[in-house]
Amino acid sequence: MLSTLVSAIGFGVVLASIIAVAAMGFTIQFGLTNVLNLSFGAVMTVAAFSAYLANRHGVGGWFGLAVGGVAGAVFTLLLGRGVFKQYARRGAQLFEMMMVTLGLSLIINYAIQAISHNNIYQFVVLPSSLIQLGSILITRTQLIIVFISVGVLVALQLLLQLTKIGKALRAMAADPDLARACGIRTGQIVVLTWLLSGFLCGLAGVVYIVNAQSVGYTTGQLFLPLVVAAAILGGAGSPIGAFVASLIMGVVTEVVAAFGNASYSTVAGFGILVLVLLSRPGTVRGGQAGHTQLTL
Amino acid sequence: MRLRKIGVAVVACAIVVGAATAAATAQSRRTSGNTLTVAGVIALTGSSDFEGQNQVGGIYPALYAINKAGGVNGDQLVFKGVDTRGDPADALPAVQQMLATTSNLIAVAGPDTSSAPTIVPVLNSAKVPMMAVAGESVYDRNTAPYFWRLFPPDAANGTAMSLWAKRKGLIKVAAVFGTDSGSQGDKPGVIASMKSLHLKLVANVDLTPAQPTYLSSVRKVVASHPQVIMTESDATTAGTFFGELKQLGGLVPIIGTEATFTSPWLTAVKGALGSDFLKNYTGMITAPSKVTPAVRAYQQAVTAVHGKEPSPWHSYLSNPFSITYYDGMVAVALAMVATHSNKPSVFNTAIPSVTNPGKGKAVVYTFAQGKAALHAGKHIQYIGATGLIDFDKWHNSFGNQEAVMSTSSLKPVSEGVVTAKQIEAVPIKGA
Amino acid sequence: MTAWSYYIATLTVYFGVNVLSALSLNLQFGFAGVVNFGYIIFQAVGAYIAAVVVLGPSSGTFQQYVFGARLPFGVALLLATAAGAVLSLLIGLFSLRNIRRDYQAAILLIISLIGTQVVQGYVPLFNGSNGITGVPRPLSALPLNLQQYQWAYAGWVLLAAGIVYAVVTWLSRSAWGRALRATRDQEDAAAAIGLNVTALRLQVFVIGGAVAGLSGGLLVEYIGAWSPDAWGYAETFVIFTALFVGGIGNYRGAVLGVLLVPIIFLEVPRFLPQVGYPGLMDSVEWIAIGAAWMLCLYFRPQGIVPERRNRARRGEAAPHAAPVRERVGAA
Repeated sequence: MLSTLVSAIGFGVVLASIIAVAAMGFTIQFGLTNVLNLSFGAVMTVAAFSAYLANRHGVGGWFGLAVGGVAGAVFTLLLGRGVFKQYARRGAQLFEMMMVTLGLSLIINYAIQAISHNNIYQFVVLPSSLIQLGSILITRTQLIIVFISVGVLVALQLLLQLTKIGKALRAMAADPDLARACGIRTGQIVVLTWLLSGFLCGLAGVVYIVNAQSVGYTTGQLFLPLVVAAAILGGAGSPIGAFVASLIMGVVTEVVAAFGNASYSTVAGFGILVLVLLSRPGTVRGGQAGHTQLTL
Repeated sequence: MRLRKIGVAVVACAIVVGAATAAATAQSRRTSGNTLTVAGVIALTGSSDFEGQNQVGGIYPALYAINKAGGVNGDQLVFKGVDTRGDPADALPAVQQMLATTSNLIAVAGPDTSSAPTIVPVLNSAKVPMMAVAGESVYDRNTAPYFWRLFPPDAANGTAMSLWAKRKGLIKVAAVFGTDSGSQGDKPGVIASMKSLHLKLVANVDLTPAQPTYLSSVRKVVASHPQVIMTESDATTAGTFFGELKQLGGLVPIIGTEATFTSPWLTAVKGALGSDFLKNYTGMITAPSKVTPAVRAYQQAVTAVHGKEPSPWHSYLSNPFSITYYDGMVAVALAMVATHSNKPSVFNTAIPSVTNPGKGKAVVYTFAQGKAALHAGKHIQYIGATGLIDFDKWHNSFGNQEAVMSTSSLKPVSEGVVTAKQIEAVPIKGA
Repeated sequence: MTAWSYYIATLTVYFGVNVLSALSLNLQFGFAGVVNFGYIIFQAVGAYIAAVVVLGPSSGTFQQYVFGARLPFGVALLLATAAGAVLSLLIGLFSLRNIRRDYQAAILLIISLIGTQVVQGYVPLFNGSNGITGVPRPLSALPLNLQQYQWAYAGWVLLAAGIVYAVVTWLSRSAWGRALRATRDQEDAAAAIGLNVTALRLQVFVIGGAVAGLSGGLLVEYIGAWSPDAWGYAETFVIFTALFVGGIGNYRGAVLGVLLVPIIFLEVPRFLPQVGYPGLMDSVEWIAIGAAWMLCLYFRPQGIVPERRNRARRGEAAPHAAPVRERVGAA
């Protein structure tokens, strides 16, 4: 019983690491721009395919991470400036913007489906050996993924706390008008937000397929609710919050799977998201200043 | 203002519809007398899209072989996909639109299991011969004259698996199936035949596809101490599950349904189990594992059209579903040649005459051979890449099933045969 | 010619069913401001309930489902409507609070995803991914051939749609409808004069859910089968796009939108010559729906928020008036 629990927690940490990278990206984007970007998963899939194609053309296994990250960053910037900003110019508010991201996710997902011929492609980075830690059995790849997510967290924290840019990001997330008044170059910060969150999004996509060892047009889709839940649960704009929330979501999902019915672990994840959305303070109409306006 | 916008929209739509209809009718008029259409009623998109790929993987080689041998009665065959999206609500208008706009329709490959109850009556009353893949056991006693089935019902594969397990003395069974529609369709046959043969179901696990881990299900299976695992699921799920099963020391012999003997599944599980895979896995398939002249012709045709085949094309060389589709098309084409007719109402009843065994019939293995023999005035028996075809009075023909192991290059190696008679002798309740 | 007749009859049935869906969504969204992105789940529950009460008891292995009562089809429709109402009551009770609209929309969307997972994961409920088949046709004892039957059914569905249309328009013009519009446009003022905002919204949500259940029952009795692939979350977007095209809050527009989008716009690609590999056109169709969605949003971004009268609302400023908070970099 205890070993089942410990083992489930171990798997939960692995799952959490995969969620965390995406959630940290999402929370930065959502925290600053206030766009509830439901096409985030589609961008993950695009980045995952980029890594797959790079792999096919000889770019070795883990360098795919860089490829995916860059692809995610560039694509997100294009979407942010080319699509979201244009809609904001025409008067879209929070809700309309979410609708825009939904339509975008339809287009991107089915475009990927069309181009990929509905196929699932095998993606094996390196044959992975098993490591035993107590009663936890994970593969070497999974352990590396855990380290990657911790590394991302540390890097983000350093960026946000110690650099000027980081301070500017935090200021804008808290109160955009005040930040502008203080002379922060808000336009540049928004561009940086797209790039940074897009990079993390792409990275997350590649991490996901490295673990799943396959890539298809549905890669990002079902993953998205867990990511959004973790980001919102942890507080929009806070990478540490997103990381901790991912841990909670990952462990809860795996423990439910270990002791209950595995089919319902995804339902548990969805359920957590619903509860989170219902209960966050920012959910009442007309909340704080930084959370009711789009910053694009 | 808005009324005007709406008016413009309506006019625009009317123009588009008119143009499209004109294009479609012009196309069919232009091609009448030159090409005949085979429609594929199958899931081309959606969660069951692998069914569409299996079909296309077998139909393209068939049409290639037929057209290369001069076509049917001087006409070439073309394929038209009719997407059911895996559900009957989408299938119905798609099929009805196809019937309304396709002249020179000679046959349908399909319909699939999910849309069959809705579509079979529609196609039958439109007098279109169907080489169906519907897995429901109700079609074992089919009465629709235009319905033909070369696939065994879903239950037959499961029954063969249970018979094989019993033969090997494996009584305690763990059932591990994905929740996708393909796997769930095959599962009831396995469970029901187990009951009839008095095997013991010690664990019954449903796997939601593409989860990062199946630890809880693995533990359930291990705790039940099965002697054998019967399974079907998609490749990714199988790889994850069996890899974890091995890690926890619970690996036992595995018997997979026919759908497991496809390249993605074999690759994934082989990757997860390593050398244990070759020892422990048995697949129950319908197509014979030995290479016959018909199989060779099929494989040549696949290679010839490999540019059009879904990727990876070489997996269709031994895909039992694709091979069955191929045989179905060849049988239809031979019936058309035998009756010198392109009209389904004429050639439909002739289909068994070119496939079923009989005295004095010339045995042929390819369309070209069959066409030549028919032109020489002989009666023929087409033995296909799936083996002997013998349609019974309910228009079903399913032969023996074979238990095969896999080599490391994913080729089948026969372990033994379960005959159709043995399968039919097992009573299945509630089918 | 007969082949065309079958096809058009089926399209007419689908048109009627989609009109019911559009009316239901228009009620919920256009008049109560509830963004029901989980709409399809209410249609699905109606279809499933109608199917399982018409069928006999489950054989247990080959098709597992609950109930199985062999009731007449009329009762089945009533139960389908009730099922839609009950499910929307349960969901509405916790999701109709004063929540940020994008969160509310996401919640309802997630609920429909949960529904799909539950049905697929728990096979004894509604036979999982394979769904329910073999639902007998209503009134099959009538001496009608297949073609006559299809047209008769189409007429019946249009009648049902017409009745619901009349009821819904009458409701909207009544005092109740006026109260609804008040809660939508001026929530605080409405609450101040004593209107129970939450109760009103819930009533609308439940009525919309009932209509959705009815539409599901009618659909399943025509097709004879129902499976999770028929009610993916994207189906809701098709109806929403129909509403955008036709105009939110406007029932005639809803009917027009249904004609233009699911019926014409989605059927036309079937007539086009098949390009590329089989199945490509279907993916392209969905891309087209997404594009239509984005275009509607682009040209009427304020139009999807229905008929706002009062400009100054705390927290969500009306978009025409307030300038967008856009950060244009100085450098």
